[in-house]
Amino acid sequence: MKNYLDLVPLTAKVNRRSSRMTRICIFLAVLLIAGIFGMADMQLQSQKIRSAYHDGTWHAAFNGITQEQASIIRSRPEIKASAWYDVTNYQLDEGYTIQGTQTVLCGMEENFLSFFPANEIVEGSFPVKADQVVATKGIRDRLHVQIGDPLHLTTPDGQALTFTISGFTGDSSMLTQKDAFGLFFGIDTYQMYFSSGTEKLDSQLFVQFVPYCNIQKNLSKIQSQFHLDKNQISQNTALLGMMFQSLDSYMIQLYLMVLLLAGLVILAGVLMITSSLNTSITQRTEFFGMLRCLGATPKQIRKFVRKEALGWCRLAIPSAILLSILICWVLCAVLRFISPGIFSSLPVFGVSWPAIFLSLALGVLTVLIAAHSPAQHAAKVSPLTALSGNFSHHSKINKAVPIRFWPIDVSLGIHRAKGNKKNFFLISASFAFSIILFLSFTTVVDFMNHAFQPLKPYAPDLSIISQDNTLSVDADLPEEIRKIPGVKRVFGRSFAYDLSASSHGQSLSVDLISYEEYQFQWAKEDMMLEGSTEEVKKGNGFLTVYSSLNPLKPGDTVTLHTDSGSIELPVFGMLSTCPFDQKMGKEVLICSENLFHQLTKNTGYTILDIQLDKNATDQEVSAIRELTGEGNRFSDKRMSNQETIGAYYSFALFLYGFLAAIALIAVFNIINCISMSVSAHIRQYGAMRAIGMSGRQLLRMVSCEAACYGISGIFFGCLIGLPLNRLFYHEMITSHWGTPWSFPFLPVTVIVLIVILAIFLAIWAPARRIRSLSVVDTINDH
Amino acid sequence: MELLRVENLCKNYGSGDALVKALQNVSFSLEKGEFAAVVGESGSGKSTLLNCIGGLDNPTSGKVYLDGEDLFALGEPKRTIFRRRHIGFIFQSFHLISELNVEQNLIFPLLLDHRKPEPSQVEELLELLGLKDRRRHLPSQLSGGQQQRVAIGRALIMRPAIILADEPTGNLDSKNSQDVIDLLTCASRQYQQTILMITHNIHLTSSADRILRVSDGVVTDLGGMQP
Repeated sequence: MKNYLDLVPLTAKVNRRSSRMTRICIFLAVLLIAGIFGMADMQLQSQKIRSAYHDGTWHAAFNGITQEQASIIRSRPEIKASAWYDVTNYQLDEGYTIQGTQTVLCGMEENFLSFFPANEIVEGSFPVKADQVVATKGIRDRLHVQIGDPLHLTTPDGQALTFTISGFTGDSSMLTQKDAFGLFFGIDTYQMYFSSGTEKLDSQLFVQFVPYCNIQKNLSKIQSQFHLDKNQISQNTALLGMMFQSLDSYMIQLYLMVLLLAGLVILAGVLMITSSLNTSITQRTEFFGMLRCLGATPKQIRKFVRKEALGWCRLAIPSAILLSILICWVLCAVLRFISPGIFSSLPVFGVSWPAIFLSLALGVLTVLIAAHSPAQHAAKVSPLTALSGNFSHHSKINKAVPIRFWPIDVSLGIHRAKGNKKNFFLISASFAFSIILFLSFTTVVDFMNHAFQPLKPYAPDLSIISQDNTLSVDADLPEEIRKIPGVKRVFGRSFAYDLSASSHGQSLSVDLISYEEYQFQWAKEDMMLEGSTEEVKKGNGFLTVYSSLNPLKPGDTVTLHTDSGSIELPVFGMLSTCPFDQKMGKEVLICSENLFHQLTKNTGYTILDIQLDKNATDQEVSAIRELTGEGNRFSDKRMSNQETIGAYYSFALFLYGFLAAIALIAVFNIINCISMSVSAHIRQYGAMRAIGMSGRQLLRMVSCEAACYGISGIFFGCLIGLPLNRLFYHEMITSHWGTPWSFPFLPVTVIVLIVILAIFLAIWAPARRIRSLSVVDTINDH
Repeated sequence: MELLRVENLCKNYGSGDALVKALQNVSFSLEKGEFAAVVGESGSGKSTLLNCIGGLDNPTSGKVYLDGEDLFALGEPKRTIFRRRHIGFIFQSFHLISELNVEQNLIFPLLLDHRKPEPSQVEELLELLGLKDRRRHLPSQLSGGQQQRVAIGRALIMRPAIILADEPTGNLDSKNSQDVIDLLTCASRQYQQTILMITHNIHLTSSADRILRVSDGVVTDLGGMQP
C-alpha cells in the first residue's frame, strides 16, 4: 500500500456484498439508459429505412422554379444530390393509358431513382435513347413484356406513342392499390413528349442535403433568395422528422415529448444510482468514523468515497453497455425476420454510438454526482461515531417510534422505512420513477395504434371497386372468386348514397350500407359501442356509426325513404367506427344484405373485398383481376398492407421492448433496494434475534418496510405518472386525432401488479438470508 | 436448585489443519440465583461458551439444559421463543434500538412476546435502573453507562431465569462499571436470577459467587473468591 487510496480495493473486497449490490444498481441504471437510447436509435434507423422506402430519401423539393433557379440551387455546397422530376397523370385522371390501364408518366434524371429505393431498377437499365422507357413490374407481369419489347402508350387525344422497354422498376404501393401502371422516361424524352401536359406543380427539383447541415435554415435562405412561396417548397416531413430537422409543429411537439421521456429515463437512472450509493455509504458510517479517528481529513474521505464509486463503474458500466448492445442486436434480428423486405438494410450488428457515449457519460457523471452527497456525509462523520457503540447511524433520530397502533415488528418496519427521510425519498422516488416511466411510455402504445394502424381483421388484400360508386359489381362475382384457389374470404358491401330519412321529426341525409356475415362479426367484436348486431343481421333494423353530430342512437326509429317506398325500422346498435369514410352531416346506416336488396331492388355490390391465403400466387391474383368486369376497378393492397405491417411491428417491437426494459429494471431495482436495506440493517436484525425476535417477526418487519416503499412509490408514481400520461396523450394523440384521454386502467394495473410482485420477490431473498442468519456472526461483525 | 447444566460441550471451527477447538468438553452447572463470572484471555472461548449457552450458536456436541429444557433439542423457532422468555442478554456494545426510547427499549422483549407491559413493573425497573427521568430519551441522548443500564433493564423485563452478560462493562469507565455490576448483583438478589458474566476486569469478579476460568476452550471452576 503506497497511498491511502489503495485501501479502496481492499475494503471493496471486504464489503463485497454491499458493493456488489451497488454495482448491480449502476449496471441496471446504465442498462436502462443505454438500452432505451440504443433501442430508440435503432428504431429511428429502422423508421428512417422504412420511411426512405415509403417516402423516399429526398429532403426537400422545389416546384414552379426556373431552370436557372434550379441550377443555382443545385450548385449550393450544402446540396449533396439533386434530380429533376416531372410527372403527368399522377391523379390517374388525364387519360394516358396502356391497354386501357391508367398510366402515370414520369420524367427524371437518372439519379432520381436513388431517392426512391422502392423504385430502383430491378432489371435492365435507365433509358439512354430518346425512345426508351423504364416500366413498372406490373407492366411486365400483366402484359407479359420484356426488355427490348415495344410499349404502346395511348394519349388523351387518342394518339399512340411507342417506346422500347429498357428496364423495369419495383411497383409503388400507390400504383398497385390503384391498379395503375408507371412509366419512367429520361428527362429529355419526357420533355419532348409530355412537358406541355405537365402542371407547373408537377415539375419539381428534388434535393438531398449534406449530412449535419441545418436543412431548415438553408431552405429559408433559398426561399428568400428566390422569393419563393411556401407552397413551392415541399419537405419529406417523415424523414426530416426522424433526422430532427423538421419544423413541422406536430413534429416539434413530438420532439418535446421525446425529450421529456428521455429526461425521465435519465432521471430514473440517476435516482437509482443515488439511492444505492446513499444506502451503501451510510451503512458504513462507522468505518468512515474510524478513518477519521485514524487521522483522515474530510477531503480524504470524500476522495475515498469518489474513488470507491468510480471503481464500481469499472465493470458495471461496460457490462451494461455490452448487454444493451446485445439486446439491440436481438431486436434488429427480430425486425429483419419480421419484415425482411423493408428492413434488410438494417445493420445486423449495429451499434448505437450516441447511446453508448450518453450512457457512459451519464453513468460516470451520475455516479460522481450521486457519490457527492454520501461523500460529504461520510466526511462529516465525527470520529466519536466509530466508538459510540450504538448500531444505527443511518440518520439522526429525533423521535421515538409510535408503538401504540401496530405490533412492534410492524411499527419498527414502518419507522425503519420512514425514519431516514432522504433514504425513504430516494427509494420511493426510484420506485415511483419506474411507474412514471411506464405510464408515460404506454401513451406511445396509443400513439402507435393511431399512427401505424395495425392490420384489422377485415383488411382486404384485393378489392374490386365500382368506379362510379354504384352497384356495378355483379352479385354473382363473390361466388366466382371463391372458386379460385388461394382465396380465403370474399365479402361485399353495397352503398346507397344520399337517402333521405327522418327520426324524431328530424330530417336526415344518410348513406345506407349493407354488411354480410363476416362484417357483422367483425363489427360486433371490434367496434360495438352500444346495442347488438343480432336483429340487424335478421333484417329487422339498422346499426349506426358514432360521430359527435350523429343524432341517432340505439332505440331510435328511423324512417328511410327509398325509390321503392318508405320503411320505418329501429336502430339496434352503434359502432365506434367503420372501415370507410364518413362525410360531415351524413349519417351511416348499416343493414343486412337482404334488407338492402329489399330497399333498393338491386343485388349488386359497390365494393368487393378479398382476403387471400398466405400462399396465394400472383397467377391467382391475376385470375381475380381478370374477373373485375366493366365499370369496376381492381385494387391490389398487398404491398401497402405489407408496409403497414412492417411499420407497425417495427414500432411495436421497440416500444414493447422499452416497456419490458422499464418493467424489468423496476423489478430489479426494487429487489436491489430492499436487499440493500436489509444488508444495511443486518447487524440490528442479529441483535433483535438475540433478544428474542423470531424469524417470522423479523420478516414481517422487513415486509412492512418494503410495503412502505412500495405504497409510497405507487402513490407518488401514479400521482405524477397519471397527469404525465394525460399530458403525453393530449400532446401526441388528442391534438392530432381528437381521441380523448381516458383513465389508463390496464397500464396502471399492470405496473402496480409488477411493483407488488417485485416487492414479494424482493422480500423472498432477504427472508432466506434472515432464516439462515447467524446471530453470533452478525453481532460480532462489528 | 440447579438451573443451568452444561454437559460435555464442544465447539469446533474449521477442519483439518485449520481446526480450532473453541470449547473442549465443557461441563458445569449453576444454581438458581447464582452469580458466576467467566474470565480468560482473549480468544480463549468465553464468548463462544456464552453464545452456546444462550442458544445463539450451535455446539459441535454436548448438551445445555436450562430449567430442565434441552436447549438444542428445540427447533429454531421454539428456541427463539424459549430464549426470549428465559434468557436475558447484555452485550458489551449495548445493541439498543436507536429508534426506540428508553421505556420502549425496556419493554421491547415483552412486545415481541405479544404481552402488555405492566406499568408498575416498568416503573419499578426504571426506579431500579435510575432512569425514571430519562424514560422518553432516545439511546443517542444517553451516556454509555445509562445505555448499558437500559440494556440491563431490557434483559430483566421478562424476569428471565438466567442473564448472560458478555463484557457488559467493556465500554464503560470504572465508576459506571461498578454501577452496572451493583445493578446486576442487586437484580440477581431481588429477582432470584442466575447471572453468567464474562469480564476481563478481575476487580469486578469480587461480586460473583463463582468464577469460571476459560483457557484454550477448557473451563476450570475456580469456585468463590474472596474480595
